[in-house]
Amino acid sequence: MTALIDARTLADRTTLDTDLVIIGGGPAGISLALSLAGSKLKVLLLESGGVNFDPAIQKMYSGAEAGVRYAPLDAGRLRQLGGGTNHWGGYCRPMDAIDFETRDWVPHSGWPISKRALEPYFPRAQALVEAGPWIYDQKGDAENAGAGSVLPLNGGGLYTSWFQFSKMRGDVLPTQFGNRYQEDLKRAPNITPLLHANVTAIRLGTNGKQVERLDVATLTGKHFTVTPRFVVLACGGVENVRLLLASNDVMKNGIGNQNDLVGRFFADNPIPRDVATLVSFAGPLAPFYGANQKLPDGAIMRATFATTAKFCRTAKVAGSLSTIEQPVDLDETGKAAVITTAIALGVDASNARTYSLGCGMELMPDPDRRLTLAGQKDALGLPRLKLEMRIADEDFARFRRTLVELGRQLLASKAGMLRINCHKREDWLKNMDWGHHHLGTTRMSADPKQGVVDGDGLVHGMGNLYIAGSSVFPSYSASNPTLNLVALTLRLGDHLKKVMA
Amino acid sequence: MKRRSIIAGVAGASAAVAAGLYRFTDIFVKHYPPTPYDDLLVQLVDRQQAAALGAKVARPDAPSLAAELRRDLKPDSLGATTEADVAAGRLMEVDGWLLPRTIALLSALASKV
Repeated sequence: MTALIDARTLADRTTLDTDLVIIGGGPAGISLALSLAGSKLKVLLLESGGVNFDPAIQKMYSGAEAGVRYAPLDAGRLRQLGGGTNHWGGYCRPMDAIDFETRDWVPHSGWPISKRALEPYFPRAQALVEAGPWIYDQKGDAENAGAGSVLPLNGGGLYTSWFQFSKMRGDVLPTQFGNRYQEDLKRAPNITPLLHANVTAIRLGTNGKQVERLDVATLTGKHFTVTPRFVVLACGGVENVRLLLASNDVMKNGIGNQNDLVGRFFADNPIPRDVATLVSFAGPLAPFYGANQKLPDGAIMRATFATTAKFCRTAKVAGSLSTIEQPVDLDETGKAAVITTAIALGVDASNARTYSLGCGMELMPDPDRRLTLAGQKDALGLPRLKLEMRIADEDFARFRRTLVELGRQLLASKAGMLRINCHKREDWLKNMDWGHHHLGTTRMSADPKQGVVDGDGLVHGMGNLYIAGSSVFPSYSASNPTLNLVALTLRLGDHLKKVMA
Repeated sequence: MKRRSIIAGVAGASAAVAAGLYRFTDIFVKHYPPTPYDDLLVQLVDRQQAAALGAKVARPDAPSLAAELRRDLKPDSLGATTEADVAAGRLMEVDGWLLPRTIALLSALASKV
């Protein structure tokens, strides 16, 4: 049994040899390490933070921003063992098959792999995020639990889909990978987790095709070197960019950046609140629409309105997951709209209930929504990042078409009606929240001119440097990324076992 | 006077009073001043609510609305026309509310008389 080693206790100028070094102890890094536990590979897991939150370490993440208001770069992620899972909401949903496809109405879309390539890994990913049995769109399970009926939507462009949630422990947030899996990491004889170890440079051989060593430092002034056979960068969609761009002594534009793609296509899932008002003519919606519902088999589920692939194709919209937020009151015009429409449809709306609707949206890939190195440096001398955040009017226009279809379906099924609350760009941005899902900055493509990594996560032009996590997503889906990035990382684990054997 | 006649008389008087109340007061049903568009507006059960909604419709004058409605809305067909609007995706946004087009136009007309 190894222990969690504090890099601050290592002798200065130590050199550590290893088969594989994983940079980053978040959900991707930990999942990858666990997938290699018990193998013959000697694995070093480097985490910049410790087990607990430390503001001084977190400050290493701060950076600059321009454009659309967005969460500060040191707010939406956590530099400690477990990474972002230390503050995630536990939402899980597998991406849809269409999310992987080249969609001619979504510029730059298309993964080099299909959903089928991930399917063998979803069961293990589901187990790692501790989301219980795999149910998702088998709606019968929620209904059979006596939790109520799904809203009839008359077979249109949206349907009731399901989130599942990572296991709750009383009031404690869902599975935090650092806390949950540190004993597993310690138990694995071939894994060495090293905390407080900040990679400050990825050093290439002179041919620029192979990582030779990593420069690592602690905030207490220790410096050491790692010499690996293979490297996996798993620091998240922001920090991966910083390390690649800042490691520019051999490749002057940064590693993997020969086509100026590293840091471009940054994305997140916008979560505009109160985008619409949904009326249910028949009375209160089933409780699983507005809150998590625990089923007898342990699964925790919540309903959401998802788009069908057919609707996405015909209406040329992106993915979205619209979710009931809370009950709201109608104003006089709203009451008049409900009374007049319900009477015309021959529906009794005397018990109608009204709710606000929020949404998780998929953004269009945008090369100019990007991270670049800024002039300022952090405590270890690494340049900080600047984010140019953008969101196009077309992103809102596409989601608006989805809301119109939901409204049409509610009327067609005589189940209710919808008010769209956002009309101008300012309306959408007014109540804008973000998923803090950092996506797309080292995108995956079989074509080196279109992507930073190939379909296996190998950085184009490199022989031994891989990237894990949602930074490789070339398009984003509206589904929350954690379950999906864990599945993708487990696939990388299998790939590494083969190529490193 | 026979008892039967008394009962018949009371019943007749009651019916006459009820008919009067129905026709000349708003106790049983709301009455509106006659308009040139009553052939259309009669299809609205609650014209007041429709008018409140229709006030938010940015459409021109009543005659053009009526002409449009007379083209598409047959007598006693509001339910069927509404359903057809929805099935065909003919929706109008009124103060954000997604409404079947005929409902929106008829409500607009109600607000203009």
